[in-house]
Amino acid sequence: MSPIDSRLGVPRRVVVLAGSGGRPIEVAGREVVAVRESWLVEDRWWTGEPLRRRYWEVVTVAGDNLVVFRDLVAGGWFSHR
Amino acid sequence: MFVSVVALHIPRFALSIAAGGSRDLLAGPVALAPEPGRPSLVGQPSPAAESGGVCGGMAVGEALARVPGLRLLPPDPVAVQGRWEELLRSLEGTGALVEDGGPGTACFEAGGLRRLHGGTAGVVEAARQAIGRPARFGIGPNRFCAVAAAGQARSRRPVTIEGAAGLAALPVALLAGRERTAHLPEELERLGVATLGALAGLPRVSVAERFGRDGLLAWELARGEDAPLRPRPPGESLEETLALPEAACGPQLQRALELLTGRLLARPERRGRPLRGAVLAASLEGGGSWRRPVTFREPLEDRERMVLALGRQLEELPAPAASLSLAARALGAAGSPDRELFACAAARRAERLRSALGQVRAVAGPAGVVRVLMVDPDSRLPERRAVLAPYER
Repeated sequence: MSPIDSRLGVPRRVVVLAGSGGRPIEVAGREVVAVRESWLVEDRWWTGEPLRRRYWEVVTVAGDNLVVFRDLVAGGWFSHR
Repeated sequence: MFVSVVALHIPRFALSIAAGGSRDLLAGPVALAPEPGRPSLVGQPSPAAESGGVCGGMAVGEALARVPGLRLLPPDPVAVQGRWEELLRSLEGTGALVEDGGPGTACFEAGGLRRLHGGTAGVVEAARQAIGRPARFGIGPNRFCAVAAAGQARSRRPVTIEGAAGLAALPVALLAGRERTAHLPEELERLGVATLGALAGLPRVSVAERFGRDGLLAWELARGEDAPLRPRPPGESLEETLALPEAACGPQLQRALELLTGRLLARPERRGRPLRGAVLAASLEGGGSWRRPVTFREPLEDRERMVLALGRQLEELPAPAASLSLAARALGAAGSPDRELFACAAARRAERLRSALGQVRAVAGPAGVVRVLMVDPDSRLPERRAVLAPYER
């Protein structure tokens, strides 16, 4: 095994408060003021470990532009940046 | 007589790995299926298949005609090599300097171990316990005698062949186990020379005249003479593996190879030594595996040239890969053997940069200097787009 943890952009767990329809209201304690885009990613559905994510690109009250997603298979919210 | 070499033989090793160790499966007529991309010939057969007339290297059609109920198991060369490597390391754990004869066969000198384990029987018992699975052991003054003895042995009873006298009654087919003499048994049998004793009894000049240098080697082996063992240096295993998040092929696989090559070259155990060869292996999506050893024309430590040499092999991959691994086969001597007398300015700069990188890496470890490698820039999942790879110049 390499000592280098090499993958970039690995999802990190984040606390998200969601409203109706799963729309994020608060990300890491900061209020969401705008949702710029939302999309669904489905992958590896042909394997025993399917991947389903609902992505949200949001802007918080602090001005951060964040991409968060909800894991629709295992549950939980994650952030990429 | 001074008995010095112990041979270990595990019959049908590759077949038992492919069968997942299932005794029920191996009790029936089964054989290894041809490797993807290789000629359509069956591999090792089970005893039941063998009794029906199937032998390794036979065309699939002929094997199925001889044994209609024959089951073909997909070979798993990566698992075979991995398990065999584990066994060799266990064997080396007893203090033995092991010569690898390929999966299923290994030899080691018992001379220096006898006092450690209490005689030759103690050495064999220590080896048996180290590998932890049934195996046949043969003892002889050299490799050929020991391997021939192991072929005659039962699982719990080692056999000793002390030289030409012990070999005399054995068939010349034993010469097939050696690369240079593999083609001789058929011709010898056609000429009525069926046993090693009969071959050893022929005049040396006649054998040399009829079969050339390979014939002389066979004649010497039949007389119980063999070259000394060439044990592998223990602990020289460098390997890097990359699990591919989705079955990969084409450019993604090429990027994965670049990453693995960079990681392998950045391993501190390499200590500046170039690679003389490498083994590229992949586990395939949907089961099975693929393995290709590559020998470089000259020892290499240049990432781009290595990727160029290894990348061609990836074109033969029979199915998308779920994981890719790269292992160093042998390492050359440290330091470039030929240097330019008047290095140009660019070369001097590159050399200084290489030296600086080496110093940073020595302090901070392999992760000290890295670069971003775009593996799959168009992936919909951000974590699959880029990785950090060791920076090499």
